[in-house]
Amino acid sequence: MNWFKEERFKQLMLRFGLVVLPTILIAYVTLRFLNFSYTSLSTGLVNQTIYFSCGLLVAYALYYFGARWIVSLIVLWLVYVLIEKIINRLPGEFDVFYTTARFQLYSTLFIFGWVFGLLLVRIRWAYLVLFGVLTAATLVSISDTVDVSLSYILLHLAPVVVYGLYMLFLSPILTERIEIDVKKSRNLLFRVTLFVLLVLFALFITDRLLRGEVKAVEKELAARGAKGDKNGGGNSGKKNEGYDDRYGLMDKTDDGYRLKDTMRVNSKMSQSDKLMFCSKLDNYFPDGSPAPLYFVYHYLTRYDPVKESFTRDVNVPSNDEFEVDPANLPMYYSFTDTSIFRKSKATKFRKIVEAQVYLSENTWKHAVLSPSNVFSIQTIPVEKDFQKTFLSAYKIYTYASELNNAYFVYNISANPVLEKIQEQRTKELQAVKDYHTVDKEFFDYYTQYPTGTIYDSIAKLALRLTATSSKPVDKVLAVRDFFLKRNENGKRIFRYTLKAGAIDDPNIPSSKMLYDFLFKTHAGYCTYYAGASLFMLRALGVPTRFTTGFATINRSDKNKGWYWFYASQAHAWTQVYFPEYGWLDFDMTIGNEDQQGAPKPDGTPPLPPPEPWLVLNAKAESVAVQKKQMEASFSELIFLNTPYRLNKTFTRPIDASLCRVVYNKRDTTFAAINPGDSLIIVSYKDEAKKIPKPQPGVSIETQVEGFPSPIIADEIHIHKKEKNKKEKDGSSNVSKTEEKKITWQEIAWLAAKIMAGLVAFVLLFPILYLIYRMLRIAFAHNPTSKADQVYRAALYRFHMAGIERETETPLEYAQTKVDPMLSTHFERFMRMYLRLKYANAIPQSEEAEEINRFASSVGPSIRKRIGIFKTLFNYVNILKALRYFQQPQKSDYETPTL
Amino acid sequence: MNNGKLKSLTDNIETIIRGKSQEIKYVVTALLARGHILLEDNPGAGKTVLAKTLAQSISQGTVEFHSANGGVAFKRIQFTPDLLPMDLIGSHIYDETKKDFVFKKGPLFTHVLLADEINRASPKVQSALLECMAENQITAGESTFPLDQFFFTIATQNPIEMEGTYPLPAAQLDRFFMKISLGYVNEEVEFDIYSNYLAINNGKETIKQVLTYNDVIQLQQEAEKVYVHPELLKGIVKIVNGTRSHQEIALGCSTRGGITFIKCLKAWALVNQRDYVIEDDLRSLAQPALHHRMIFRNREASKTALQQIVDAEVNRLAKMSIQSKK
Repeated sequence: MNWFKEERFKQLMLRFGLVVLPTILIAYVTLRFLNFSYTSLSTGLVNQTIYFSCGLLVAYALYYFGARWIVSLIVLWLVYVLIEKIINRLPGEFDVFYTTARFQLYSTLFIFGWVFGLLLVRIRWAYLVLFGVLTAATLVSISDTVDVSLSYILLHLAPVVVYGLYMLFLSPILTERIEIDVKKSRNLLFRVTLFVLLVLFALFITDRLLRGEVKAVEKELAARGAKGDKNGGGNSGKKNEGYDDRYGLMDKTDDGYRLKDTMRVNSKMSQSDKLMFCSKLDNYFPDGSPAPLYFVYHYLTRYDPVKESFTRDVNVPSNDEFEVDPANLPMYYSFTDTSIFRKSKATKFRKIVEAQVYLSENTWKHAVLSPSNVFSIQTIPVEKDFQKTFLSAYKIYTYASELNNAYFVYNISANPVLEKIQEQRTKELQAVKDYHTVDKEFFDYYTQYPTGTIYDSIAKLALRLTATSSKPVDKVLAVRDFFLKRNENGKRIFRYTLKAGAIDDPNIPSSKMLYDFLFKTHAGYCTYYAGASLFMLRALGVPTRFTTGFATINRSDKNKGWYWFYASQAHAWTQVYFPEYGWLDFDMTIGNEDQQGAPKPDGTPPLPPPEPWLVLNAKAESVAVQKKQMEASFSELIFLNTPYRLNKTFTRPIDASLCRVVYNKRDTTFAAINPGDSLIIVSYKDEAKKIPKPQPGVSIETQVEGFPSPIIADEIHIHKKEKNKKEKDGSSNVSKTEEKKITWQEIAWLAAKIMAGLVAFVLLFPILYLIYRMLRIAFAHNPTSKADQVYRAALYRFHMAGIERETETPLEYAQTKVDPMLSTHFERFMRMYLRLKYANAIPQSEEAEEINRFASSVGPSIRKRIGIFKTLFNYVNILKALRYFQQPQKSDYETPTL
Repeated sequence: MNNGKLKSLTDNIETIIRGKSQEIKYVVTALLARGHILLEDNPGAGKTVLAKTLAQSISQGTVEFHSANGGVAFKRIQFTPDLLPMDLIGSHIYDETKKDFVFKKGPLFTHVLLADEINRASPKVQSALLECMAENQITAGESTFPLDQFFFTIATQNPIEMEGTYPLPAAQLDRFFMKISLGYVNEEVEFDIYSNYLAINNGKETIKQVLTYNDVIQLQQEAEKVYVHPELLKGIVKIVNGTRSHQEIALGCSTRGGITFIKCLKAWALVNQRDYVIEDDLRSLAQPALHHRMIFRNREASKTALQQIVDAEVNRLAKMSIQSKK
């Protein structure tokens, strides 16, 4: 007997083709994803799949031929013993270790395959289990990778979903014998074809639907970004309500909190201890103790009397604000604006101070936070261990004044050393007598003063305070002393409070609030003090500006030069201009005596990133994912901290075997790189590497020729193509070039929408089917097909009216169930219909009439019997409708014994 | 015309057999399909009465074979264990006048044969019935005698579990077109029977002959002309095949079983005053026409298996749309 010609064997082969092969394919795909995510797995994707399929095939065949548990256990045990033997024969310990590790992996996969095979043979709905396991595996592999965009998830889940659908379609025919003859297996072919069509349709729909969805999301984000830009103009003051920052100084954006461009004296306050950023500031006193500086965010130079708010201004004379978006700067690239030196209008007591700033996720990453007069910035990576806390970092160089210091910007401290230095500073600044040397336009701009009774009274107060002093610094100190004044009981008159507007209606104009602050309540927070002092100093003819940023607090000397900034440190103060000395910080805010917030601990400072010897601004040409190698072309590079632009494009192989790949500030895998992507490729200074020495006098192109090949990459930062283009265009449109990321909320929202659509469809399905049936009646082209459609519609409607047909034939159904309940003469119709159906009869005209009469009587008779509401209600019953499509079944097949 | 005749036949039988119109129809169906029927039930259910009533409705009392009055001949044989085949088919008897053995025809030479309690006879006798039922002829010794084209056997048997029975072999069961069981009547009918017991008992004499020999032949010919839709034929094929591949059925339906099933369907349609077969007929007839041909693996299966197959097929037909004509 030819065993391979046996029916059962053929069936098994057929099932191998139909079930096992797709399962192996999907396992391969899933393993592929897992391999990309977990380096520990990477011992050969093909081998893994082979072991899995071995388990699957053997188990499937064994269990298909009805093997029992005991057989399978014996087979598994034999395999185990065999491999144990092989391992014990191996010569070296090293081999044993690796073989054991691999053995564990392979045996796990083999057992997975085995269990899958068993399930697929024995349990009809096993594909559900498989589907769940595969989905979970895929999701795990996705979650470990980086950018969770919708398309990414869909792309990865699509194979599993397709597999699930496929098995769903296939499962009903698997339990039966499958026709091997192609002609006879029309049912199978029909199913498969239908399935393919459905999948194609689903892909098409998804593509269409999601493309629109993604665009909408992008548009919305773009609109949000644009709004952020507009905020520069004006009144964001009211929009910040409910945000969690202490001084109301910050706006919440997509990228974290940003300090407001506009400052308004506001009465609403709240508190927060979110970590904003940390910084290493290399500024020390001559004795080596750290000298912290306030970190400036923006200068608000103009007072808008209509809106009663301080705003940024574009037409500032000699604007020394450093304008660059660090988030748009490619890694290791720097931007320097030397005009800052000139615009700072300072020459005396200036030095260049270096600082590193690490921004947490709470901080708006597009702004430069630095001590005043920053002129150069370079983006640097964050050490891997700290990436959870800090998303980005940059190094800045600032043209700082030695007379500036966070310790004495405001009032005397208890420290005698500091007091001494502060006195020296005052003495030094007393050299400035007046502002007649200053440019007129500059002076006028910064001493602009609004008119009005309130402002006049503030000016009068200022003049009264400074009647004795003539030098600018004395005037400043007089204003400071005014805030520090004590009453006859030795108690401070001015208080610090976060609830400044509590005693007044918060809606009164802020000039009125300032007036109240100065003359009545004497209580306020930083913006009150800063605003009031600004008005007073400007009234005295001292150029002053409103500064927002962060107060620097040196909490401990453990990590010298490291400072930590929390949201509650957001601050506002004034800067006063002294000719030749430049702008100096003066903080008039009174310390909060009532409530000293517990000092927050400093964190661990991040490790300094390794120094690169080569940074390439490159484009991926070809990527070999398995080998972890790629070809990249570049024409821009930074070689030992010097940027160069090459006059031709080089293409070099890149060895990325030990490389870290970063996309959107998060780690990803090498597989995420696609040819055509813009990359920043970084190679560190490393003892093991042959680093070419810079050759002076030799053109950079020649030096590049001498670079080692392949170039060993330590870090690759992926940019997207579009982004790169915009950068090259030099577009200043900061917010729009930002990669749009689809957040989980949006995915959830989209999923909810899809689910709602599905639910609505499911709920409406019975009524839709009824409509379809009625339409078929309407479009029936001859009496015969009309009779057919009427018959189907009637069966459906009677079913939905609660008269369910079980195993009886339609005629019996009519006789025993329908007609006793409804007056439709269904039996008469059925007899006629059966005659048409089985006697090859042509309907006569009176029969056609009878059909019409019956068709029109179905609805009214049902409504008459059970009422219109119940009828409608029945059509929402999806379960009932589903029962209609099922094969009618009786719970018990008791037949009368004949 | 024919409708009227059939109606009068069934009505006539119903005057004696109360509350069993379905079973009467089955019997008439077997008659019109030129087949034979086996009634199986407990003693006293009315099997013999039904058979006799039918016979008498188409023949005026006991008539001679090929009698001139247009009636049909009716013979009744009570099967017992000591019955011999010769008692059925007849035997050669020495004729003194002719000085030769002449064949003396037995009771099988008739039109309607009532084989009462067939399973009480020995297998030898049972098999003697085989030939005449299948081939409509009797072979005795060297000579073969054809039977009339109208030969209808109504056999009755007690349930096989009962004492003193020889179960009919599958081959012989297969030759019966149908096997039905009368069952008990419901309370109302039973009350009616008791209250009119005398009238019914005396009915033997009052039964009228409503059909003639020619009428029966004509109806049988008409039954052959009943139209069976190709889709129904496909359905029958599927049902027959289904019985062969069903896990719970040890012996499926034979092809002969399928052929007789179609014959029965046609006759059944005619009995129900139709000249075409419909899907309901499959359902009504599958049980009596097919069930006795099969051997089931267990009791449960014998109750459900066939019905499952038929229901699936009938459901497919019910959902099928009208097939356009060629």
